[in-house]
Amino acid sequence: MRRDWKFYSQLGLTIVLCLFIVVPVVMSALAGVTVNVFKGLSSGLTLRWVFEVWDLYAQSILLSLGIAMACLVVTLVAGVPLAYVLVRRPSRMMRLFEELLTLPVAIPGLALALALLITYGGVSGYRSSWLFILTGHVLFTLPFMVRSVAAVMAAMDMKMLEEGAASLGAGFWRRFFGVIVPNAKPGILAGALMVVTLSIGEFNLTWMLHTPLTKTLPVGLADAYASMRLEIGSAYTLIFFVLIMPLLIAMQALADRGKRASRRIDTAEDTL
Amino acid sequence: MSTQIRLRNCAKTFADGTRALAPFDLTIEGGETIVLLGPSGCGKTTILRMIAGLEFPDAGGVISFDGDDVTRQSIEKRRVGMVFQSYALFPNMTVAENVAYGLKVHGVPSAERDARVDAMLEMMHIDMLADRRIDQLSGGQRQRVALARAIAVQPRVLLLDEPLTALDAKLRVRLRTEINALLRKLGITAVYVTHDQEEAMALGDRIVVMQKGEIAQIGTPREIYRKPQNPFVADFVGAANRMTGQMRDGRLHIGAHVFDAVDAFDPRHGAILDQGAVELYFRADGLSPCDLDEAHFTGRVEAVSYLGERLRLTVSGIGSQAVTIDTHADDVIEAGADVHCRVNADRLTVFPAVTAQS
Repeated sequence: MRRDWKFYSQLGLTIVLCLFIVVPVVMSALAGVTVNVFKGLSSGLTLRWVFEVWDLYAQSILLSLGIAMACLVVTLVAGVPLAYVLVRRPSRMMRLFEELLTLPVAIPGLALALALLITYGGVSGYRSSWLFILTGHVLFTLPFMVRSVAAVMAAMDMKMLEEGAASLGAGFWRRFFGVIVPNAKPGILAGALMVVTLSIGEFNLTWMLHTPLTKTLPVGLADAYASMRLEIGSAYTLIFFVLIMPLLIAMQALADRGKRASRRIDTAEDTL
Repeated sequence: MSTQIRLRNCAKTFADGTRALAPFDLTIEGGETIVLLGPSGCGKTTILRMIAGLEFPDAGGVISFDGDDVTRQSIEKRRVGMVFQSYALFPNMTVAENVAYGLKVHGVPSAERDARVDAMLEMMHIDMLADRRIDQLSGGQRQRVALARAIAVQPRVLLLDEPLTALDAKLRVRLRTEINALLRKLGITAVYVTHDQEEAMALGDRIVVMQKGEIAQIGTPREIYRKPQNPFVADFVGAANRMTGQMRDGRLHIGAHVFDAVDAFDPRHGAILDQGAVELYFRADGLSPCDLDEAHFTGRVEAVSYLGERLRLTVSGIGSQAVTIDTHADDVIEAGADVHCRVNADRLTVFPAVTAQS
């Protein structure tokens, strides 16, 4: 097949645009393992910076993972029942509540942090603990969990499933945990990955809320760029990348699986 | 053995004030299959949901199963088997797990449970599907699973809410026959909701025809078909042709023709209708094509449809609206032709004419 100049010009443009995005990523990653970034690759490759980052910021990295997990637990416990109520008992009040819930996504993280500081800044034990940051993260991520779970619940005719289960003698809790939750699993999983990813990467709200003892991963990154060698900042990015990539890939895979789950169509040839 | 269901003075008004059901009484005998028949919005599903415990009657209504008052009992406690139009199977479980669900809830020990599930699947001819996921099944297979699941727990009554509506015509007839055999075999009290007149006739020991939240008629399929008690029922069960006439001294006059031996009982007044204007409802067998010398009427053929075993004509010029008349499939009749026909007076259902003020 002969291809004309149009094909090649489009291919060229696509490659240039991809490089525009990919090259900085590669440069940054390389900088993290280069002995001296100002001399370039000729100075040799090393894992020294990665280890140095681990020595300096292991605390932040572990704290971030801890907060992300705690955030996940809270959003699961609060978000799944909330989504259920939103879908099962829609009313004007519930609509209003849903809007309120989504508000933290719309307003700047800084403003949200400021509100938390003004309200609870005086409660010293709480203010200086990681729970303070957790509060901010829950406010910010809860709507993502609720939306994700509610979307799946809205698509599955919960009322009918519950009536079916109830006719077989199942009480509310048995229906909820035996039928509703397992069938909402794709939404719960997608929401969970979203919450963990957002919590690990959250910067602007966390930056306002943190204390020197409650530094999270992204706050540590800003700190590293601001006050350390460029190689250390880049090595830090590398660690961040390694942590967050599997989550993003899992999220993508999950979304694809949801799309592929096709419904069987009944036809006249159907013999049973 | 089978449970008798009694509904006394049951009415239903929804929260927004709309009256879904006028107060009614209904007794369903043990082992009987009763069909609630009517167009959508007539309240038939509301009655079914009341018996199930998914809706509660307005104050004053009483529902009892074999004399036990279950009016305030929730569905979980009533031991009713339900089959839904959209199946309501649990997608997170296999076929066998779906059928086992109710048994598990009732605490049936696992060995007995497995045996019961196997027996149910075998009875519904779906034993080879035991480990399939629900989304791998066809509509007909799904409805069999739903039936197996509902009867596995040995419910007191079986409630079926338009179970065949989502299936195609051929499958519907086949599954209908199977459900009929199943209900006879189990001897269970069953309430079946449908808008399909043929389905109702095939399945019901008795049929309750519903109209706008009220019971229009209760009777055996034969009574409903041959002796509809009001124009609504007549029209709904297929007697859609209409003519007007006059009763004079017990004889029916249509135009210049006079007919004897007409069953003109007016159920609303509990009396023989022997005087006054009447409306006549009839099916395609109420008139039949004939030669000119025996004809009562002559009309004009507007349309012809070939139905295989017969030819259906749409004829104008007889009565105020076009009527449908059946004739032999082999007859050659074209639209636009004149057709002579005879009235089969025994096939007419006579109602007093609706007067202008009523």
